[in-house]
Amino acid sequence: MNVEYTGWLLDVYTDRKEGGIVLWFLGDQGERLFLRQPFPVVMYAAGDFSRLRALWHYLEKQPMQVSLERTERRSLFDPDMLTVMKIQVKKAFEQPRLFARIKQYFPELDYYDADIPIFPRFSAKYNVFPLTRCRVVTGTNGWIQEITPLGSRWDLDSEPPPLRILTIEPDIDPSHAQPAKLEIRYGRYHCRWEMKPEKPLLLCLESILRRYDPDLILTNWGDTWLISRLLEYSRQLNIPLSLNRDPDCEVIYKAQRSYYTYGTVVHRGQQIHLIGRWHIDALNAMMFGDYGLEGVFELARVSALPVQVAARNSPGSGITAMQNITALRKEILVPYHKQQTERYKTAFDLIGIDKGGLVYQPLIGLFPDVAEIDFISMYPSIMRRHNISPETVGNQHLNAQFVRDLGLFVNQDQPGLVPETLAPLLDKRITLKQRLLELHPWDCRYKPYKAQSAALKWLLVVCFGYTGYKNAKFGKIEAHEAITAYAREVLLRAKEAAEVLGFTVLHMYVDGLWIQKPGACNVADFQPVLDEILERTGLPIALDGIYKWVAFLPSRQDNRVPVANRYFGVFQNGEIKIRGIEARREDTPQFIVQTQMEILKLLSKAPTADSLPSLLPDITQLLRRRLDEIQKGSLNIEQFLVRQKLSQALNEYRVPSPAARAAKQLEAEGKLIHIGQHVRLLYVRGEQRVIAWDLSLPPDPATLDVIRYKRDLLRAASTLLGPLGVNEDTLRNWLFSNASYAAPPGILPKTNPNCRYFDVSSG
Amino acid sequence: MGRTLVTATQIILDEQREFGDFYRALRRADQQAFEELFSHARKHTAPISMASHALPFEAVLLAMLLEECKKSNQLSQQLDELGKVVDKLHQLVDEFTSSA
Repeated sequence: MNVEYTGWLLDVYTDRKEGGIVLWFLGDQGERLFLRQPFPVVMYAAGDFSRLRALWHYLEKQPMQVSLERTERRSLFDPDMLTVMKIQVKKAFEQPRLFARIKQYFPELDYYDADIPIFPRFSAKYNVFPLTRCRVVTGTNGWIQEITPLGSRWDLDSEPPPLRILTIEPDIDPSHAQPAKLEIRYGRYHCRWEMKPEKPLLLCLESILRRYDPDLILTNWGDTWLISRLLEYSRQLNIPLSLNRDPDCEVIYKAQRSYYTYGTVVHRGQQIHLIGRWHIDALNAMMFGDYGLEGVFELARVSALPVQVAARNSPGSGITAMQNITALRKEILVPYHKQQTERYKTAFDLIGIDKGGLVYQPLIGLFPDVAEIDFISMYPSIMRRHNISPETVGNQHLNAQFVRDLGLFVNQDQPGLVPETLAPLLDKRITLKQRLLELHPWDCRYKPYKAQSAALKWLLVVCFGYTGYKNAKFGKIEAHEAITAYAREVLLRAKEAAEVLGFTVLHMYVDGLWIQKPGACNVADFQPVLDEILERTGLPIALDGIYKWVAFLPSRQDNRVPVANRYFGVFQNGEIKIRGIEARREDTPQFIVQTQMEILKLLSKAPTADSLPSLLPDITQLLRRRLDEIQKGSLNIEQFLVRQKLSQALNEYRVPSPAARAAKQLEAEGKLIHIGQHVRLLYVRGEQRVIAWDLSLPPDPATLDVIRYKRDLLRAASTLLGPLGVNEDTLRNWLFSNASYAAPPGILPKTNPNCRYFDVSSG
Repeated sequence: MGRTLVTATQIILDEQREFGDFYRALRRADQQAFEELFSHARKHTAPISMASHALPFEAVLLAMLLEECKKSNQLSQQLDELGKVVDKLHQLVDEFTSSA
């Protein structure tokens, strides 16, 4: 007899026992169902006919069940149909292994749909996505007969599944010291359990796993330390630990790695994936601090990546999965290797087109009543509006747009694969942002909406970035160049629109403008500019906020030279915004971050920019207090910790950085630091100059390099006070020589009537 | 990520370095003026980049000229204003002496 269930799809993976796929399903009655379904996997091969025939013979001799067929399919870049060999593998788990073998024996052939993970394949076929609602009908043998979606991945208010979450956190960072206790939380329960002896700990965890049966185990340092340690105890003591829900499978380990991305080196720790339930290490997950679990779930939902993968992989794999789904549904072949090469370009061509986004240097100084206006998801909006996709750029059709900078055409006949993929994503994010504007931050929907919007933002960002990524299957550098060419044009039009209406453009940064006009200080005063920009560019632009005042800062090396994206300001609602200053940098000690933020909070109290100097006495008082605390050693030593990244291997440093020196000390104790990993250190006096925080012996607070920390504190303070005319020397005079405020701030004549103060040193 | 060209900021720094010998031979006061000219150019990296000029130093020079032109305009404006004040003062002195 058939049984019908409704609920949420949690996970899909290949079934090694029966050959199909396994689905984990959370039913409306709270039941966790383990369901099976047959799911043959299809891939294609194309190329020289004699080699295809050889492949045919080879496959016929394989022990696994494979059905072969000669057919025709559409490739993205070719208007004609392509004759291909369809290879259908009955047991899904055998397909990756078979593909690895045939590409080794027949490397000269082109392969399609060969390396798509199982979940996106499943979602493309049944339109059912992770964590979305669906209905399943199972037969007498418990196998799925039918599965139908009850919701869409684009729904805004879909009911979240009532997940059971078990949280386990060691009481201290294991790289710093041996944790003594585990903090365990599940449902309404909360306990702390000793790490030693191990036996009661394992028995406790096993009983929780069996009784509570969590869907998600959320840990700190679970990937890099905790889970492997628990499994080791379990093996040594021969006590079972049912971390996996599926007893037929082993826990999956993925090795740590370091790689270069966007000009910086990144280290990803080892990963541990569970089968049948999820494990997420909050400290090894991608941008978990940005969007949390809600964001991870949203990423999984829209991209059809398993939750554990979505949590750890870059958004790039999410957008690739989404493009694969679009291609599978449109029956377009997904190439195994990227097949598009860059068109021939002369050096002159390159000078004209390889320019990226437009970044203007700001006018240095402190400005009152400034509006920040941003294009809403500028690059994706351009991609959709102009139909920019790898297959649409470069071919002259009847209905094609000419991109002046590139001398290329963009075809408008058919919707491109990339714009088609991102359009619903863009719509969902714009709707979420609109709702966020209407909601009060205390509304229970505010937080999840914000997390979802942040997760979608990253997908949209890489959707543009991947068009220029050399390994992206649907990437083409000309598409990337076309997008940036349009973006530069759009920003220039926006500048012209603002200037026509009498505004001064203080700064422009890729998709945002900071504008000012004497007398304009309300939302209504800036509406005409927004309307004019929309009219001239066709792209939506929004007012991010109006600053009471904003200060654009000069370069540290030369205070006559402006620096893009280094500013701080206070919005009319009191909200503080900072970019590029010490408090935003990850290598700034906590007490300096706190002091900078405290100074900003004091400054934010000034009703207008003109009244800012009246706060200087309060600020110097605060700084005196802070300097005193450093001198007396009354601050917690952790407040002095500096976190720096090891950017290359230790033996590659000609002059070792502080991070390299600290890493060397750790290496001497047998603690290896990999490229891209962060090292925590303290600046100390003496020959060593730095001491690693994670050494076995605790550092002596008396050795701290107090002079250096004081200097850094004053430097951070002068970053904020510079625009008021108080440079580091003046500040030192005030603080150490008890000089009075005889030289008032802003003593220099104003060269720009709309700018309030100038750095005294800039003359 | 596919970038093949140096940035406008880098172009300016490279050009400044190219003139290292020229710089050395300048007197100290002239060296300061030289540095100021290059800091003028750094304010206009976006237009230099947009110009896509095969000889980028021409765009760098134009950016320097721009700032100098702005400065001289500003000075003429201040001179005009000062001239008006001086005229007014002359007028007042004349009125005062004639009335005395």
